[in-house]
Amino acid sequence: MARVKPKRHGVVTDMTAMCDVAFLLLTFFILTTQFKKPDVEQIKPPSSISEKLLPDASLMTINATPDGKFYFQPVENASERVKLLDNMGQKYGITFDNNEKAAFQRVQAIGVPMNQLKSYLDLPEDEQKNFRSPKGIPMDSTNKQLVDWVEQSLKVNPEYKLAIKGDVTTEYPKVKSLFEGLRDIDFLKFWLITSQEGNPNE
Amino acid sequence: MAEVQVQEKGGKGGKVRSKKQNTRVDMTPMVDLGFLLITFFMFTTTFSKPNVMDLGLPAKPKDETKKPPPTEIKLSNSISLLLGKDNKIFWHQEDNTSLTDQNLNETSFDREGIRKVIEQAKANAADKTKFTVIIKPTDDAVYKNFVDILDEMAITKSEQYGVTDLKPWEKAIYDKRVGNSGAPAAPATK
Repeated sequence: MARVKPKRHGVVTDMTAMCDVAFLLLTFFILTTQFKKPDVEQIKPPSSISEKLLPDASLMTINATPDGKFYFQPVENASERVKLLDNMGQKYGITFDNNEKAAFQRVQAIGVPMNQLKSYLDLPEDEQKNFRSPKGIPMDSTNKQLVDWVEQSLKVNPEYKLAIKGDVTTEYPKVKSLFEGLRDIDFLKFWLITSQEGNPNE
Repeated sequence: MAEVQVQEKGGKGGKVRSKKQNTRVDMTPMVDLGFLLITFFMFTTTFSKPNVMDLGLPAKPKDETKKPPPTEIKLSNSISLLLGKDNKIFWHQEDNTSLTDQNLNETSFDREGIRKVIEQAKANAADKTKFTVIIKPTDDAVYKNFVDILDEMAITKSEQYGVTDLKPWEKAIYDKRVGNSGAPAAPATK
């Protein structure tokens, strides 16, 4: 019997399957990535050992800048934003037209008192981005607009969660007035945004 | 693809055949690029999420629970931390009659400072289950101090703590202390 010669293989691996999976994953990650939106103002959160990540819930964010201004970032959902604007308008006796409502849906964060909100929303979009409010949203014992924003948002949807992002150098009395305001409307559970730090016990 | 072309050992001169064209395309660079992008997107998705810390405030009507009436919490079972200006932190275990600017101790926001103090106070507490930390940020404190001290609570596993305002008698001593302390001590490192 003739000797069976081993067949010579080329060194080929079929990469098609791997390639398919790889691109499937790639598509998945591309579609799910949400890039961080640019902040309205530079805020450096303090560090903590907490390893909990910000959950995905419908989130409104309050930003407290180093000089004590407050910005309010409503939830992303566009139709609920319109309801929120309507509620706030009713409370403060301001009516907004459709252009302003559309502008409100796109806005990143609000940092103006209610009486300036209308003119702020009337600005063209790139001017809005460069607009730096001198005062932010008022929050003191007599004028609690910031808490009103939170309260009216909760009226639209009670499931909203709140995250507070404060700067390292934000003065405590500012934060305290915010906490007190939130206690007044019985909104007691929220998150403080911090940056990662190793556990010093380990 | 990654194929090693086996060279034919022709060369006997015969007929010149038209070479058979290989229809395979080398996919290696494309796969490389694909994985590179996957890595990039994977990292950006996980790192864009900031960390958070839970904070639950006490409800407003139950005001008496956040204050430490001496009848409820013995002084030895509690420690008061005053967050001062320039990242300073003071602590005491006294009440309004015994607190002086001598026994208002200053410490720092780090492992050697405040953590030792809390752990010691906890170890010396008469009833460890009732050991309470009372956090009193002054108006000079910054947000970072507040977060740091909450962090410290998590590290030392002190679950019972309260945040409240300074009492007038504490404020007087604190003002005296800060005014008197002269050259500011080195700010805390953390």
